[in-house]
Amino acid sequence: MTSKILHLIGGDADIGTSKIFWIGFVIAVILFALYPTQVSEFRASNVSYYLLNIPLALGMALLWGYCGVLSFGHVAYFGIAGYTYGIIAGNMAGNSLGSLAGVLGGLLVSAVVAGIFAYFVFYSRVREWIIPILTLVLTLLLETFLGQTAGYQWRVGSILLGGYNGMTGIPSFQIGSFVFMGNSFYYFCMVIVLACYVGLRMLLNSKFGQVVTAIREDPLRTEVFGYDIRARKWLVFVLSALLAAISGLLYVQWGNYITPSQVGLLSAALPVIWAAVGGRTSLLAVLIATIVLNWVTFTLSSQGNQYAMVIIGAALVITMLFFPRGIVIMIAEWIGKLTNRKNTTVIR
Amino acid sequence: MTSEYALETRNVSKRFGGVVAANNIDLKIEPGELRCIIGPNGAGKSTLFSLLCGIQRADSGEIYIGRHNVTNMQPFKRVRHGIGLTFQTNRAYQELSVKHNLMVPNPSLAVSKEAHQQGEERLMLALEEFGLNLNDDTLASEIPHHTLQWLEISMVLAGFPDLVLIDEPTAGMSRDETDRTAMVLKKLNESGLTIIVVEHDMHFVKSIAKKVTVLHQGRIFIEGNLDEVATNEEVKKIYLGHAH
Repeated sequence: MTSKILHLIGGDADIGTSKIFWIGFVIAVILFALYPTQVSEFRASNVSYYLLNIPLALGMALLWGYCGVLSFGHVAYFGIAGYTYGIIAGNMAGNSLGSLAGVLGGLLVSAVVAGIFAYFVFYSRVREWIIPILTLVLTLLLETFLGQTAGYQWRVGSILLGGYNGMTGIPSFQIGSFVFMGNSFYYFCMVIVLACYVGLRMLLNSKFGQVVTAIREDPLRTEVFGYDIRARKWLVFVLSALLAAISGLLYVQWGNYITPSQVGLLSAALPVIWAAVGGRTSLLAVLIATIVLNWVTFTLSSQGNQYAMVIIGAALVITMLFFPRGIVIMIAEWIGKLTNRKNTTVIR
Repeated sequence: MTSEYALETRNVSKRFGGVVAANNIDLKIEPGELRCIIGPNGAGKSTLFSLLCGIQRADSGEIYIGRHNVTNMQPFKRVRHGIGLTFQTNRAYQELSVKHNLMVPNPSLAVSKEAHQQGEERLMLALEEFGLNLNDDTLASEIPHHTLQWLEISMVLAGFPDLVLIDEPTAGMSRDETDRTAMVLKKLNESGLTIIVVEHDMHFVKSIAKKVTVLHQGRIFIEGNLDEVATNEEVKKIYLGHAH
């Protein structure tokens, strides 16, 4: 049983299958765990922000990289979860179960919206290239709708949706009387990111994951092996929407506010860029790229630099021209060749 | 209504604009048969296969797999009645390893416990004869073309079907490779697997077939033993052309 689980985690659905890799992985986790003890709470909180984006990015890797379906609007589920949490937890402020109810509500509403949307997209067998456009339209509609919710009439219970200024004063996450803030929130994010990463690795190494990858490679061939590819794609879409929702929940718990720009065009492009730059066919590559690119943008923009997004855009162009399969993947393969062992499986 | 055949079509027709790709096709395949379907280019051989698998829907007529009327079923549901298909152009997953390729098909589709057991034996036989390995990490794009053809046949067998449709398995193969393919298909057939092969290569057809169906312009032109068919003057005309 244990060996089976280890096999699922360590399988070759992702880069890094050697002993050396796993030692490095554990060291990295320990360093991340020690980080808040060495720096100010403010800096740790910044890193929390990089971490909380990872589930969204891993969802992109799952959907686009492994299943071959590009969504340009997964921030919609990020936003839906964030707003729903704000409404539920805000209305239940003072009740210690409020934030938990908000989390469940956020996940549920995101999953339902994603489920209905994906049903129409996949069961009508629309062409692959239309899906990015449809997903983008959904999130832009959501942005437009939320943008015009200024005013007292746009109120759910005691919570104002707030139009372009967004929703403020969203409660932090709490269990009982313990509120996750500062360092405790950092560790909360870390545990969730680890769970998402390990869980997805297991899923993708399983039979289910192998079939998902086969669907990416050749949908018709896979269907003629007896798989209902519509149902599989639907499920993967909803799962990745749930991952986006987790990021949305963590985001509002971190900053205690959300604005419609979080579901806007720029925000929608970012997860796609993280996945493309790192290498969408590897969970770990996307994870690393998400941390690095968020660090770059966050650091630059907090120094008042206007060019953060230009630099991110340039990173995308450079990736597409010189590292079409992703910078992190290609570096990993290079290291694999250098150590002249079969440490890294070639993933395309 | 049901059918006692492994596969039966009743008056199946399919039209693409002005072209009749399948014209009232009545095909009956006995359980355990090895049937070759031949015919010139554009005779409707591959169309017939995609109609059988449900990749395309027939305009009229009925299709039975075993006892099941599958006429209105989606491809993935038909496969669940024990049918497997290789495509005319090889569709092994190029960017995945041989191992991964062989893991994708679903052995739990086997219709019974015996079918499961038998499916496993057939798969092992094919892998051994073709020199393929279940744990091979090589990417499919890095193996030679004829091995890819063998890989796709093995993949179909990994779904433990009762009936396989194989579309031009020996295209691009050398004589030796063609003979090996024929030998394996014969052995699989001897184990009770029903096989329908579309093929151009007459050498290959001669080496495996007992019964041959000739398609011409979407119709079944003639059906019978290889000798009968091969000596038929009309067949020589349409299939072999005047040069032969």
